[in-house]
Amino acid sequence: MGVTVKALMKSPWVFHVSAGSCNNCDIEILDCLCPRFDIERFGAVLIGSVRHADALIITGAMNRKSALRVRQLYDQAAKPCLVIAIGACALGQGVFRDSYPMVQPLDEVLPPGAVTVYVPGCPPKPEAMIAGVVKALAQLQPAAKPEGAEKEAADVQ
Amino acid sequence: MSSEQVIDRLKNALGDKLKGTFAQTALRIYAEADPADIVEVTRVIHNDLGARFVIASGMEMETDFEVLYHFAFENMPPPCPLVTVRVHLDHEKPLVDSITSGVPAAAWIEREMHELLGIEFKNHPNMKPLLLAEDWPKDVHPLRRGRPWEGKVDRKI
Repeated sequence: MGVTVKALMKSPWVFHVSAGSCNNCDIEILDCLCPRFDIERFGAVLIGSVRHADALIITGAMNRKSALRVRQLYDQAAKPCLVIAIGACALGQGVFRDSYPMVQPLDEVLPPGAVTVYVPGCPPKPEAMIAGVVKALAQLQPAAKPEGAEKEAADVQ
Repeated sequence: MSSEQVIDRLKNALGDKLKGTFAQTALRIYAEADPADIVEVTRVIHNDLGARFVIASGMEMETDFEVLYHFAFENMPPPCPLVTVRVHLDHEKPLVDSITSGVPAAAWIEREMHELLGIEFKNHPNMKPLLLAEDWPKDVHPLRRGRPWEGKVDRKI
């Protein structure tokens, strides 16, 4: 395991991209950071610059304008970069699919295979988001799955 | 203040420029105005009677366009009434004077109506696009009836 991936798995720094969500997923993400769920226990820190990010958390159905920004942000992030799509809108545009400002969904805006995990729900529970992050980390280095990854994912389901 | 008192006050200030006033409830008063008088009517309500400009809303009806200007009389004894002035515009060529000379706060909502509904505002100081993407075709107004963008807008970026 390279030192970059090792550092990433020990403490993934996440950047929150709200591509026009209704704020419900965003509130649940904040819930993840608050004492009840407290993902900082696992070393995940919300940071202010995409240049420092190991993971992008993307919420919201993107429109023509924000899709360009999402692509730009992904290009600016240092690789390897995990992309975690949160909520029904980020997955498949939700109820806004036929609306006028919509373009293609997130996984077609970003390069193929860029989206690491999809966390469905409207909004998903913080437990599901944590399980998603754990799964994303596990996928990064399948040989060395973080301890309890399987169990935690199973607990949520 | 009762709705009759508010209507009296409006009629005293505006005379026959205001037609068809009616109170839907004690707090919700509607009035019709001629598109030619709308600058004067809104100027008097906003500047002389001291009402707050809340928002304007536009709608495409079957035979015409409607623009509604909503004002709150927060300077009257509570409960404070909400007065809506409505104008009807031609369906083929919706055109009305901009009210920004008397009500500067209406500038952005007029830009939005211009973009989304295709209503022209005469003498607007800064009619730039506000919401839609830069590559959006200028003759496609997404909030008109039906789905006017279909076939005219590329849904890929």
